[in-house]
Amino acid sequence: MEGRLTKLALKGDQRAFAELVELYKDKIYHLAYRMLNNRHEAEDIVQETFLRVYRNLDRYDDKQKFSTWIYRIGTNLCIDRLRKRRPTYSLDAEMNDQEGIDGYSMIPSDNVTPETELLLSETQRLIYEAIDSLPVKYRSVMILRYLQDLSLQEISDVLDMPVTTIKTRVHRGREFLRKKLEPKM
Amino acid sequence: MECKLAVSMMHDYLDDDLPELQQRELKEHLLSCTDCRAKFKELEQTDMLMFSLMHQSPVASEDLVSRIMNSLPQVKKERAFVTWIKRHPALSAASVFILVMLMSSVTFWNQDRQLVVRGTDLEQVVIQGNTVIVPSGKTISGDLTVENGKTQVYGEVDGNVTVIDGSLYQASTAHISGQVKSIDQAVSWLWYKVTNMFSEVAYR
Repeated sequence: MEGRLTKLALKGDQRAFAELVELYKDKIYHLAYRMLNNRHEAEDIVQETFLRVYRNLDRYDDKQKFSTWIYRIGTNLCIDRLRKRRPTYSLDAEMNDQEGIDGYSMIPSDNVTPETELLLSETQRLIYEAIDSLPVKYRSVMILRYLQDLSLQEISDVLDMPVTTIKTRVHRGREFLRKKLEPKM
Repeated sequence: MECKLAVSMMHDYLDDDLPELQQRELKEHLLSCTDCRAKFKELEQTDMLMFSLMHQSPVASEDLVSRIMNSLPQVKKERAFVTWIKRHPALSAASVFILVMLMSSVTFWNQDRQLVVRGTDLEQVVIQGNTVIVPSGKTISGDLTVENGKTQVYGEVDGNVTVIDGSLYQASTAHISGQVKSIDQAVSWLWYKVTNMFSEVAYR
């Protein structure tokens, strides 16, 4: 289905491309939101991902799953974004002259309204915090494994790494999360 | 079974990556080891909690799709042209070459509006304004070529006479021993240029 849509989109069919956007926007948004923990940046990533998909439609290889391709683009954009973010400031470092203001308050605030905040259960919040505390190389693997329900082989295709590496990372990531969540369970 | 191996097998089991035979071995171990049983329970719970998040995807802004669609570059036609060039590089290069050649020839042709007289024995020739005259009683030894002008021959020419974009008048007294050529149109002019170039090269 995606193969047919990409071919139509390549011929200039805007509606076919819009269908691709509908199919994948939520998945990419979820991926980016969990990777970056910021709504604005996540939407930026979704937009950039589809722009790249559109520009490179002629380079899309039919033998590859479309989902693998778009996840690769999205994941790489997230990792790039995180890489650029880190050296500029450390989130936990307090600013010199303003007391009590750290990096977290510098990130554009999430537009989570109090109502949606309430809907977020305590358990969910705990898991999200645990995911956010994962090192990036484990975070991307765990998000692809659980939030996108990809198999180990698919994750290895997306990240272009051997399956054995992915397996080790899933095991360590799961161990890490277990230790974070265990005292609260 | 060692507990360390059992943990590794637990992870493989959760990844749907543990053969049935080993699943049975793991189960046996879990029945006998309380520590591993507790650990397996925790890992399984972590796994299920993580999977449960899959069904709670955050909602993106409603205008995200339209924003994406509006941000797409609208250059489909140009792209078709570019891809054609990429697919036929030799043809593209050839057509560009021909285009450049044609343009330069055309501009040269337009520039050559002024009178040009070429020949081996031009002292005998009289030029009056736009007219080239071979006076009666005079003999020109060799060829005579006139571009963009009138030519009037009263005397003798001991060679070829070529007139390009002009007129040729031969008086009854005229005598031309070689060929008489009159070239008017751009195409034949081009042909003349090309053959001339080749014969010049050949003679050198």
